[in-house]
Parts: sequence; structure tokens; C-alpha cells
Amino acid sequence: MSVAAVDVVHGREAAPPITRMGIAVLSLAGFFIATYLLLHRLGVVGTLACGADGGCAVVQGSRWAVFLGVPVPAWGVGGYALLLGTALAGVQPGLAGDRRVAAALLALSAVAFLFSAYLTALEAFVIHAWCRWCLASAGVATAIFLLSLPEIRRLRRG
Amino acid sequence: MGRRNVAAASKGRGLRPFYIILGLLAVIGIAAIGYAVVGRGAGGAALEPIPVEGADDPRTLVERAEGISVGDPSAPAKLLVFSDYQCPYCGQFAAQIAPLLKAEFVQSGALELVYYDFPLGGLHRYSFLASRAARCAGEQGKFWEYHDVLFGEQSRWGASSRPPLDEFEAYAERIGLDRQAFSACLRSDRFADVVSANKLLGEQLGVTGTPTLILNGRRVMNWSNYAELKALIEREAGA
Repeated sequence: MSVAAVDVVHGREAAPPITRMGIAVLSLAGFFIATYLLLHRLGVVGTLACGADGGCAVVQGSRWAVFLGVPVPAWGVGGYALLLGTALAGVQPGLAGDRRVAAALLALSAVAFLFSAYLTALEAFVIHAWCRWCLASAGVATAIFLLSLPEIRRLRRG
Repeated sequence: MGRRNVAAASKGRGLRPFYIILGLLAVIGIAAIGYAVVGRGAGGAALEPIPVEGADDPRTLVERAEGISVGDPSAPAKLLVFSDYQCPYCGQFAAQIAPLLKAEFVQSGALELVYYDFPLGGLHRYSFLASRAARCAGEQGKFWEYHDVLFGEQSRWGASSRPPLDEFEAYAERIGLDRQAFSACLRSDRFADVVSANKLLGEQLGVTGTPTLILNGRRVMNWSNYAELKALIEREAGA
């Protein structure tokens, strides 16, 4: 019997995990950042608000801006959407202790974190330009990963 | 209502602030994306040369074209420079040769240097916009400062996958221009006629590449050799 089920039986179901709420909010922010970059890539947004150095344009125009044939921002849009959906499911009554949600959040956030680290390393050592929106997304992915660490405890508990 | 349902209902109420925050963030995000889509495109910014009325008549073309000069208009030597802001050799001329000419000849009144736009187009897809941007800066009295920034940052804005309007505006701010006035100029068709006329004038004069230098009516072939260029100017200036 899961922790949540036990709590319900005793009439004191655990409060929705605040970390998952944080993940949902951050995922939505990341989703909009990635959408903005994707719209730029698709030509819908003329120019990025990126400061004087034009680093976003350099990064977005580089050959590293496409991963497995798909523009990197599109991976971001998809990844953040999945994280948002999973986190929203995870705050629902009855799913707070669900091991599947915990595993999915942990796996998705780890992939997002590692992919962001890889992209940031490319900016630093290969492209030699900084895209502040990409850095913002990397910061969001890192925060989501940190917030997902308590899921390890939930997995063990389950 | 069973105990489970009571707990779930109470839980639903507990989630309300979370949903409100999420909803607010969604509204802000959608509004920001909407603004970016509607307000940050190339908009009305002229990116390409436009037809110049009366360009067939050389006299009319000369009237419509407009170089930007530095130095004494009555100087014995007049050097026309047809240049493209995305051309690396033009950047080399602007960074290495022009400062020497200004220090050695322009300041002494021996030379007038006149800049003409010659945006090549093609791969240099933003050079026309850059020419217009420099003229917009010129409207606020800082053509040459902006000219230098454009060449200095050439590799950055030139690599942009979209018209570098934001970058150009940031450069304007950097050199102390009124950003709003500059932006209004840049995001319009201002100076599209002058830049187009300058290019046509260059074509009439036989300019095919950049930079092309014409000293007192004669084309300078080896401009990158400063000693040679200096000797030519000295001869023209009668020094």
C-alpha cells in the first residue's frame, strides 16, 4: 500500500508536494522560453531580444542549433510540456505518492538538465557565444532537476 | 460524502493558489510571445534597395545619391569610398586604413573622405539595413561612431539568422543615441532611397566589389598597401 493510500485511510492525506508545484511553474516558464526561441527559428519572430552582442543569433544560427534533425528549441518545447504535464499529474490528489510519477519526473528532469549542460558547454567551448535565452532555459532546467531530487525519496518509500 | 472525497475536495481547494499562479504565468507568457510575434518582426524596416526615380539620368542620380564626408570639402584630394558593412575587407579598411588617413590627411585639410553605401546584397543580406542604420545614427550626428561600431561588430550581427534590428538598436544606445528616435527611423523605410541611389551611383561608376576607392576620379587598385595609397594622396594633394 502506498504512502498516499495509507494517509487517505487515516483521513489525513499528504499535502500536494510543493516541489512538484515548483516544477510545474518552472516548466511553464521554460516552455515559453523554448517557444520563443522556436518561433525565432521558424522565422515567426523577426529578432530576439538578446542584447548588443547578438550571441543568440550566433548560437541559433550555428549548426549546433539542430539536434537529430530537429531544432533544439523544439526539443525544449516538447520536454517542458512533458515535465509540465507530469508535474500537474503529480500534484493531483491520490498521485502524490505514485512511484510512476516520481520516476517520470526524475528521469525527465535529469535528461533536461544533462541536455542543457551539453548545450551550455557547446556555447562556452565550441560556439564561443552566449545566448541569454538558452542560459535562462538551462537555469530553469537546473532548478527543475534540483526540485526533482526529493522524488528519489518517494521512489525509495514506494 | 466519503472520507476520501472530503480529502480530495479539500485538496482541490488547497491547489487553488497554485493554479492561480500557473494561470497568471500562462497569461504573461502568452502575452509576451504575442508581443514578440507582432512587434518584433522586421516590421516596416526596409531591408532591400528600392527603385530610384530618375536613376537613368546621371545628373538626377548624383542629386539623389548622398555621400557622408569627413574633412574639408575644398581639400585638394577627394577619396570616395564605396563600402558594404558586411564585407570583411571593408571592415579592414575601416579599422586599419581609414584612421590613418583621417589622422594624416583629413585633419590637415589635405583630404576629404566621402563614404558611399554599396550594399552588395546576396549573402550580405543585412548590409542594406546596416547602411540605413548608420544613416539613422547620422541623423543624430553620430554617423562615423555608428559606422565604426557596425564594422567592429560585423561578425556578430552579420551571423544573425534574422534582421538584426535589436542589435542595431542596442549599438545605438551604446554610443548614446536616442534609442526611440533611432528605432523609429530603423523600423521604417527612411534612407532606403538614398542608400539605393548610392548603390546605383556606384554601379554607374563601375563599382563591382567592395571596398572600391576612387581618388580624384581615379580608381585606387591597391588600397591595402598604405604606403602606396599615401603616395597617391600626397601626389594629388600636391604635398
